[in-house]
Amino acid sequence: MAATNDSDDLEALFDSIAATSTVPSPVQVAPAPAQVPVHKGVSLEVGDNDELQELFDSLCVANSGAPGATVGEQDLIAKLGDQDSDSWPKQEVVFNQIGQMARSLHDTICGLGYDKLLEKTVSAIPDAKDRLAYVANLTEQAACRVLNATDVAVPIVDKLVDSTNTIADRWDLLFDNRLSVAEFKLLAEDTRRFLRQEIPQHTAVVHAQLTEIMMAQDFQDLTGQVIKKIGILTQELEGGLMKVLLQVVPETKRTEEVESLMNGPVINAEGRSDVVVNQEQVDDLLESLGF
Amino acid sequence: MAADPKMRFLVVDDFSTMRRIVRNLLKELGFTNVDEAEDGAIALQKLQSGGFEFVVTDWNMPNMDGLTLLQTIRSTPNLRHLPVLMITAEAKKENIIAAAQAGASGYIVKPFTAGTLSEKLTKIFEKMGKV
Repeated sequence: MAATNDSDDLEALFDSIAATSTVPSPVQVAPAPAQVPVHKGVSLEVGDNDELQELFDSLCVANSGAPGATVGEQDLIAKLGDQDSDSWPKQEVVFNQIGQMARSLHDTICGLGYDKLLEKTVSAIPDAKDRLAYVANLTEQAACRVLNATDVAVPIVDKLVDSTNTIADRWDLLFDNRLSVAEFKLLAEDTRRFLRQEIPQHTAVVHAQLTEIMMAQDFQDLTGQVIKKIGILTQELEGGLMKVLLQVVPETKRTEEVESLMNGPVINAEGRSDVVVNQEQVDDLLESLGF
Repeated sequence: MAADPKMRFLVVDDFSTMRRIVRNLLKELGFTNVDEAEDGAIALQKLQSGGFEFVVTDWNMPNMDGLTLLQTIRSTPNLRHLPVLMITAEAKKENIIAAAQAGASGYIVKPFTAGTLSEKLTKIFEKMGKV
């Protein structure tokens, strides 16, 4: 473990906090706690935070009764319900506790080797977000292309059906002996034109739209790859975070389920009795309830 | 289908693709008088302005979800008679029960087929005819 690095990071963090404080005479931040050893399995007792403690104490002292406190700080004062700016016992306790919690968490995470996991998470999540946005984008484009194609093709097919019916009706008349020779000649010409011109022309357009629909499926290859990558990443993160959680979360909290009515599609219904998997089951359920 | 082909539908879904699909399917079934809304809040505004006879809605939407829309419709005197068909990816039994209890006229789980939509519409029209 890079123990000294960790301490340096921590120190830098506190330095920055001290620097942003608007106290008129800047606090002299305690010298580097770089010597504080952070070892694997380091004890998390309050006692090993002496230097941090000093740091926080100095911050608190510097802030106490500060006439130059910012609006934000005054808000904080008001919120904490301590109007007396000369004594800050409550704030001090809070600062100390937060400091100790942050330190404990930091030490725990480093001690367990999860700092690398978190680092990875911090960089991987935005990347995964971008990738998912890419998937959403491609699939939406594909859906639009397909719908546009059907918008073009459907009216053409409808027109072909209409034309076919009209010509068929006229042929029915002929077979009923209700057409004159002249009408029959016209019908023969119209039919020929229909077969030679209209049908090839229209089916070519429909064919092109079907090709367009086929080509719109090219997103699947790209999204498939991206989704697989995100799947692997998620699995890794889940595994790591689960270990952290299992160590931190108390036993009693472990079985709590989040109840919600907005869960989206059921990805895997296997072994679940609380979901339906098809329309039949929806209908059966509603029927069994008398709806 | 026995229903009036001029019947005015409102299709509510936050995804334009799904709205287009439902609109196209309704057209196939002979209903060309279709308007769209992208969430429950917009749907409610459109419904309040009047003229609609049928609502097809998704569940999970921003601003106002489909269940809230359904509940609001059922508690609004001039809208409560409207048939509301839910088309949603929510497939938990408690969702279906909640929708039924809130007064949904039908419940279709995504992904669905043109046949299912047609069947549910017919069923709803039959019930409406009996009332």
